[in-house]
Amino acid sequence: MHQINMGDDLRERNREIAAENTVMLKKHGVVSINIMSAPGAGKTSLLVASIPGLMKKYRVGVIEGDLQTSRDAERVAALGIDVYQIETGGVCHLDASMVHSALHQLDLDSIDILLVENVGNLVCPAEFDVGVDAKVMLLSITEGDDKPKKYPLMFHESDLLIMNKIDLAPYVDFDIEKAKSEARDINPSIDIIEISCKTGQGIEAWVDWMVRLCDERKS
Amino acid sequence: MHEVSLMQNLLRMVGIAASKQGDSPVTEIHLRIGKMAGVNRESLKFSFDILAKGTIAENAILVIEDVPFNIHCSDCGSDFNPDDFTLRCPECEGTSIEITSGREMEIDYILVDDESDSPESRDKMENTGG
Repeated sequence: MHQINMGDDLRERNREIAAENTVMLKKHGVVSINIMSAPGAGKTSLLVASIPGLMKKYRVGVIEGDLQTSRDAERVAALGIDVYQIETGGVCHLDASMVHSALHQLDLDSIDILLVENVGNLVCPAEFDVGVDAKVMLLSITEGDDKPKKYPLMFHESDLLIMNKIDLAPYVDFDIEKAKSEARDINPSIDIIEISCKTGQGIEAWVDWMVRLCDERKS
Repeated sequence: MHEVSLMQNLLRMVGIAASKQGDSPVTEIHLRIGKMAGVNRESLKFSFDILAKGTIAENAILVIEDVPFNIHCSDCGSDFNPDDFTLRCPECEGTSIEITSGREMEIDYILVDDESDSPESRDKMENTGG
């Protein structure tokens, strides 16, 4: 019997490819954001509502991750931008290698900012870095204010928390201040924006957040 | 279910390590999984049962060590072992918190049988701690 000491991290291969993605994006001057949420929180609606504003300043590209169907990609492509669809075929998150393949399919020289819409899931995407500049988590208030405590990793990993469907606040028992405070217990430096893709409230603040990120990274 | 992806990586790395030992059969795989790593132990074992078949590790026993969640407050210097993922110091309310353990997902070591080629049974999987 022989013991082999390893100490290898199970995410190592993913990290290596994520690092390659980062280098590739940087080389082409592309700023990138990974958008994560539960299914139905409104990721595609968020893109559709904010891309026109973002396009006034920067050229936008999108990678759409979905278990099945290209419906979301079609909604986004209708805005007249470059969209690449990844159908994961049942895998519950995008990993760095899937994004790597997508990067080879996009014309990176013709975009300034790449928005990656992850698969709807509050657990797995938090553990798989895809090599982007920023991570954004979208939480719709119909999901319940207990989500930061129940899915802490996602909140811990994100740079920005967007609370969507804020127009429904009078009709649901979602304590906005409690959710914010618990999100900050998990991630003290997280930015928080309240929005409604339905009414347009807060969309400008989200566009400004992305523009600021681009300005910082490109300067 | 990202445990399937993790298990694929695990088997790949174990396969590489075992091949350096003359492709000796792997008899034990010892993992260290943090309490806040977001890994479901049962899913990981289930993935192992399915994916290890036909590999050099198919008769190995999977042993998972649970690593506790520990934080250190840089403001007051205290160390804590909180029950939930709260990164606020319970002593001074400070937020300069460093996670010192609890997010591990690593292969600690493996055992290979480089003397005999009789495969061992892995009927009894073990889970130390937790």
